[in-house]
Amino acid sequence: MLSIISKDIHVEFPIYDTRTRSLKYSLGIKQIAKGLSRIAPKNMNVGGQIGASETGRVVVKALDGVSFEISEGDRVGLMGHNGSGKTTLLRVLAGIYEPATGVIQANGRVFPLFDLQLGMDPEATGIENIWMRGKMLNLSTKQIQDALDDVIDFTELGDYLYMPARAYSSGMALRLAFAISTAITPEILVLDEMIGAGDASFIAKADARLKTFLARTGILVIASHSMGMLRQWCNKGMLLEQGKMLAYGPFEDVASMYESKVAAEQR
Amino acid sequence: MLALTARQLDLAVDDLQSGISSWRLSHFLAWQDIKQRYRRSTLGPIWMTLSFGIQIFTMGFLSAALFGARLEKSFPYVCAGMLLWGLITTTVSDGAGLFVASARYITQIKCPLSVFLIQAIWRNIMIAGHNVAIYVAIALYFVVIPSPSLILWPLGLLLVVVCLSWMALVAAVVSARYRDVPLIIANIFAVLFWLTPLIYFPEQLGRKRFIADYNPFTHMIALVREPLLGASPTLNDWLVVLVLAVAGWIGTFLFFARFRSRIVYWL
Repeated sequence: MLSIISKDIHVEFPIYDTRTRSLKYSLGIKQIAKGLSRIAPKNMNVGGQIGASETGRVVVKALDGVSFEISEGDRVGLMGHNGSGKTTLLRVLAGIYEPATGVIQANGRVFPLFDLQLGMDPEATGIENIWMRGKMLNLSTKQIQDALDDVIDFTELGDYLYMPARAYSSGMALRLAFAISTAITPEILVLDEMIGAGDASFIAKADARLKTFLARTGILVIASHSMGMLRQWCNKGMLLEQGKMLAYGPFEDVASMYESKVAAEQR
Repeated sequence: MLALTARQLDLAVDDLQSGISSWRLSHFLAWQDIKQRYRRSTLGPIWMTLSFGIQIFTMGFLSAALFGARLEKSFPYVCAGMLLWGLITTTVSDGAGLFVASARYITQIKCPLSVFLIQAIWRNIMIAGHNVAIYVAIALYFVVIPSPSLILWPLGLLLVVVCLSWMALVAAVVSARYRDVPLIIANIFAVLFWLTPLIYFPEQLGRKRFIADYNPFTHMIALVREPLLGASPTLNDWLVVLVLAVAGWIGTFLFFARFRSRIVYWL
C-alpha cells in the first residue's frame, strides 16, 4: 500500500549572500523582519517568513510544521502564492531536501518530474538522449530498451532521432523529453506544474498519453497555479501559506477556500 | 556543532553504498563527459594523449637540461610521475567543483551524492588511462624494464585512488559552502607541483630533502612510479599512503555524515 506520512516538518533556507549578512550585522535580524512587515502591503502573503536560525543566520522558513497523510489513489493538488512552500514541499517529498526537523516517510518509490529536459545534451543525438534521460530517471538498461520503440513511435521524429538534439526545435526537444519521461509507471509521482508537449496538432496525442500515464500512477502530488488543471486531475487539495499548511482535504473544499482568499486579497 | 546522530551515520553509509552500487550510472555520466568534451573535434580523445605527449616531451628535455640527468632516465621518470600527478590534480580539483557542477541534478532528483564523486574519479582514471600510451611508447624506446614489484602496482594505485577519493569528497563538500575553496585548491596544487619530485629527483634537494619527504604526494607518486622505472617503493612510502588512506577516510566519513544533508541547501 503506497502512502506518504509527514509529521511536523520544518525546512529553513540559510541565506549566505554577503549583502544580507552585512545588513544583518548593521540592523539585526528582528529589525529586518519588522521592516519588511512594515513596508509590505496589507495582505501580502508572498514568500516564506524571514527569521533567524539558532546560530543567528538569516533564514527563510520555507516550511513551518507541516503534517499530513496521503494514501494510495490520492491525487493531491498543492495551492498557494508564490513562495508559499509548494516547490519546497515537493522537493521534501522527493527526498531532495531533508527537513531540519520532523519526519517524512514515503512508502513507495517517489518519482519527481520537475525538469523534463534534465540530463539531455544538445550535442547528443535523439537516441542517445533517450538513453541519457532514461539513466537519469534511474531506469535499467532493459527498461529503456523496452520503452525505446514506444518512445520513438510516439515522438514522430523519424530520422531526426539520429541527429544531434541541437538541430531540434524547442517543441521537438520537448516532445522527446516528454515521451521518455512518461514511458514509466511511477509509484508516487511528484510534479511542479503539469507537464505537456507539443504544438496544436500534437497536443491531443500528448494529452492522451498523459492521461494514461497519470492513471497508472499510484499517488500524484502536483503544485500549480492553474485551478482548472488541478480541478481536472485532483481529488484532494492542500493550501500552503508562508510555509504553513492552512488546509488539507477534499479538493473542492480547499479550492473554494483558496479562491475566496484570493478574491478577498484582490478587493 | 559536530555532534553526530546514528541516523546521520546511517544515511551517510547509505549514500556511499548506493553510490557504489549505481556505478553504472557513474560510468555512464563519466563517459558522457569525455564524449561531450571531444564532440565535433577531428582527433577527438587523441587530443588528450597528444597534449600529454607534448608536455612530457618538453618537460623531459627540460628536466635533463636543468638537473643534468640523462634523457633515458629523465623521460620515463617525468612521464610516470606526471601521469599520476595529472590524475591527482584533476581528481581533487574536479572534486572541488563536483556538487556545484551537478547542482542541477542534485536539486532535481534524489540521487546519492557519491554517484558524482565516483563519476569524477572514474572520468579522470579513464583520461589518465589514455595517457598510459605515452608511457608505453617511452618505456619501449628507452627500454625501461619494470621491477618485479610491479606485482604490487595495482594495489599501490588503488591506495592512491582511495586517498584521492576522500580528498575530492572533502573538497566537494567544503567548496559547495565556500566558493573560494576551488581557487585555493588550484593554488595549493600549483605550489605542490614544485614541492613534489616530478621533474627533479628527491636526492637533488640535498639537505632540503625533507621538503619532499614530508610531502604525502611524494609517497603517493613513488608508490606508482617506482615499480614502472624498475625500482621499488620503500616501506615508508607504503605506510604513509596506507595511513593517509585509512585516517583520511575515517575523518572524511564523519565530516560527510555531519554535513551531507546540508549540501543541497548550499547549492
